[in-house]
Amino acid sequence: MAFWNEIGSRVAWLFRRSRFDREFEEEVRFHIQARADDLEQAGLSGAEALRQARREFGSPLRSREETRSAWQIRWLEDLGSDLRYAARAVRRNRALALAAVGSLALGIGANTTIFSVAREALFSQPSCRDPQSLVQISVSGNTWIPMPQYRLMEDAHAFDGLAGMNIQMVVNWRDGNHTYRLAGTRVTDNFFEVTGIPVAMGRPIERGESDVAVVTHGFWTRHLGGDPNVVGRKLALDGKAYTVVGVLPRDHRMLAGFGFTPDLYLTKDPGEVMLYARLPRGMTRQAAYARLKPICRELDRVYPDVSRKWAKEVGLSAVGGTERLQENGQEAMPVVAFFGMLVVVTGIVVLIACANVSGLLLARAFTRSREFAIRMSLGGSRGRLVRQLLAESLLLALLGTGAGLLLNLWLTRLLSGAHIPTPLPIELLIQPDRMLLAYSVALAFVVTLATGLVPAIKGTRAGIGGALKEGGLQAGPAGYTLRNALVVGQLAISILLLSAGLLFIRNLMYATSFNAGFDTSHTVVGTFQTVWGSYTPPKFAALVDTALERLRALPGVEAASPASAVPLNPFLAFNQPGGQFRPDAGSRTVRVAYNFNAVGPDYFRIMGIPILRGRAFADSDRLGAPEVVILNENLARRLFGNTNPVGHILRFPNNRDATVVGIARNCKYVTLGEENAMAVYKPHAQQNYAAFAHFFVRTRAAPETMIRKVDETLAGLDAAAAVETRSMGEIFAGALLPSRVGAAILASMALFGLMLASIGLYGVLLYAVQQRIREIGIRVALGATPGNVLAMIVSQSLKLVMAGMVIGLAVAAAAVRPLAMFLVPEVRPADPMNFVAVASVLALVAALATVAPTARALRVDPAVALRHE
Amino acid sequence: MESNPIPELLPGTLYLLILRTLSCGPLHGYAIVKRIKDASREGLRIEDGSLYPALNRMLVKGWLTSEWGVSENNRKARFYRLTPEGRKQLDKEAGEFDRLVRAIQLVMRTA
Repeated sequence: MAFWNEIGSRVAWLFRRSRFDREFEEEVRFHIQARADDLEQAGLSGAEALRQARREFGSPLRSREETRSAWQIRWLEDLGSDLRYAARAVRRNRALALAAVGSLALGIGANTTIFSVAREALFSQPSCRDPQSLVQISVSGNTWIPMPQYRLMEDAHAFDGLAGMNIQMVVNWRDGNHTYRLAGTRVTDNFFEVTGIPVAMGRPIERGESDVAVVTHGFWTRHLGGDPNVVGRKLALDGKAYTVVGVLPRDHRMLAGFGFTPDLYLTKDPGEVMLYARLPRGMTRQAAYARLKPICRELDRVYPDVSRKWAKEVGLSAVGGTERLQENGQEAMPVVAFFGMLVVVTGIVVLIACANVSGLLLARAFTRSREFAIRMSLGGSRGRLVRQLLAESLLLALLGTGAGLLLNLWLTRLLSGAHIPTPLPIELLIQPDRMLLAYSVALAFVVTLATGLVPAIKGTRAGIGGALKEGGLQAGPAGYTLRNALVVGQLAISILLLSAGLLFIRNLMYATSFNAGFDTSHTVVGTFQTVWGSYTPPKFAALVDTALERLRALPGVEAASPASAVPLNPFLAFNQPGGQFRPDAGSRTVRVAYNFNAVGPDYFRIMGIPILRGRAFADSDRLGAPEVVILNENLARRLFGNTNPVGHILRFPNNRDATVVGIARNCKYVTLGEENAMAVYKPHAQQNYAAFAHFFVRTRAAPETMIRKVDETLAGLDAAAAVETRSMGEIFAGALLPSRVGAAILASMALFGLMLASIGLYGVLLYAVQQRIREIGIRVALGATPGNVLAMIVSQSLKLVMAGMVIGLAVAAAAVRPLAMFLVPEVRPADPMNFVAVASVLALVAALATVAPTARALRVDPAVALRHE
Repeated sequence: MESNPIPELLPGTLYLLILRTLSCGPLHGYAIVKRIKDASREGLRIEDGSLYPALNRMLVKGWLTSEWGVSENNRKARFYRLTPEGRKQLDKEAGEFDRLVRAIQLVMRTA
């Protein structure tokens, strides 16, 4: 407290310095006068008394200086004058300042934007009351638990409430003549009560209520027109009227985290839920665990299940912040790694920008070395000079960071609240906060030191005598070593960044022209979702048959097939079961995780996936007929080795047998990056589906022209069903968006980095040659031919470039290896072509930067060159 | 000239003396010097040159405030006044000083 008062009064003093001087003078005059009065009374004469008083007081000047120093914040005043001086220097050299601030701003803008997005996606706290006492529960190692089991646990009343939600549900919303598929999170009726999620308008869902919904702000504005009287409005969801009771605030952050944002929350049997428990005040996790354990044992007693033990792997984890990330490490790892990589890459761009600015400042410091030497010889301290040079880089860093923050605000404003068209609805609410400010300040500090420290220290190192001699520093060994280190370091960093960047550019190019193992050019996919419970499996199977009949009857349609999954689309994902297979129903078991799709007879033809052995499914593979299965090559080899599996019996993990009738060629199922994925196809008609199917339609003409017809045909089957029809290409574009965005950011950062690195390298080499113009002049004057000089300079430059490249390539070869997890397998991080390409680009830049200025120097008249400073 | 017989101030005691002197009411700089000189029967003398830096350091610390007023013989003078914080500081430093002096005396008597 006292400390701040002191700072305050010192700062206030800064603004009344001139008054201080006046007043001090007056005070001293009074003091001497008063003393003189006393002396006069003691018997001295007037003039004598005044003299005596003056003598006693001593030097008023020294007293004033000492008194003044009581008030001064020395460094602050110095900083002020340093900054003013730096501002003048920056104004004099606008081009340099603009280049420096611009490149810093772009790097810092990109870096802080990634920081902001990562912070929101990974570390934000969910919107709920007291997140510390809310925990997510997992039993038998799984965060999902069926409803009957949930009810048993809730009835145990072990906590201050236990609620569940299911985020993975789609609800059909019938609005006028159209049915939309919405991301509807189904919750138990006590969900809002337990979590304490705040609503902006209306009220939350209350215990005991049914057929009510709370809509998110995004859905309210996008689909309900921001209607202020929305509370009480009825929405037809899955064929039933739900009353909207509340609207969530704009900054609602869901418990699930990662920016996931549904359209609405509704009370509807979720089937399966993720569990959230409100711990009583002061209850520790351990105590909660101790209470939970017996309940899980009770679950095992009431719902015995051979495949899962409820009381096993019981866990409680935090719902937000870093804790959640630590506890759910497995799921979050790829996301964390992704953001981490982006932060590092943009950070490297900032560093390259710093290196450029540092090089420029260093050049300036060298040209001013005579000035510094003079100041030092006149008694200026070196520390003072270092501070002055640092003030210049501080100014540039502040301007760069400020501009970078503006860029950050603009970008995050663009991103914030945007409905990102990923398969899972994601909205991020990014707001500038204190963390961002702290991060930027730290960044500006790092940039200041990174850009300024080396020039400040090296630039002022020259001894007084040496630097005063004309050009003494230019030949000094310190100058050489430093310039060389700068060239080598800049090259090494550039190679590292560019190698990583090039990988991502190649990945991006590959991803846009990928070969997934199937044909997407003539396929339309209609996703058809009926209201749950409105069909029995046989009735739904009949509906699917009708749909296929009508689709095939459309002009321009070659074939149509149902399927339970769409490849490469996480939201319409494959089931990925796993378990022990018994080939030939024998005793040998093979444990395999595989992708499952139930498809119609024409699926393989539509997708262009060849059946390598055996046959595709036929119309006769129906319920009641013998169960059949088609395997992909990988799984066939895994289960049956080199023998032809067609005709063999395969016992599935659920102990049902099926006959292998065919082998399909391998293709991609979930991600483009997967390798050696296993797959099982079963006939769609042999499954008990009752609500949901994708219809794959192969068209003769461009698929876009057929979307509307397919959509209308499917919608005509059931007015309450939600239909969404898109071309296969469009679906993939959405599915690949996250990796494409990442690749685009990385690729653009790499290009930007290449540009910066080239400019920086050019600048440093150019400067190095310019420093030697005098020397070149002398050599030419003494009779060296231009060829000699050029050869000498090029060979010296070549040595530096080689050193930088060797270091950079060695580091890059090791550092890019972990990037493999983000790349399609066809792009290998260790591919020597990457390094060759990067090295040649930089070598070209280096050659240009060496030869061009040397050639120019050689054209200069030796007499002029000798005078060159 | 008469500086020889006057002992040097113990370090840090200048603040204490000024605080104590001002505890009876506001004074100007010259009066502070005079009061200390008189009270110590000329045993202590504050150098004029070091008085004002000390006063200003105390102003910065918030122990004193100052205002312009008129002196006993009608001259414009700057008066210094103790703040509540200064009073607290005086109590603290006086206590510490007492303890120090007593401890030194104990050592001097016994050792």
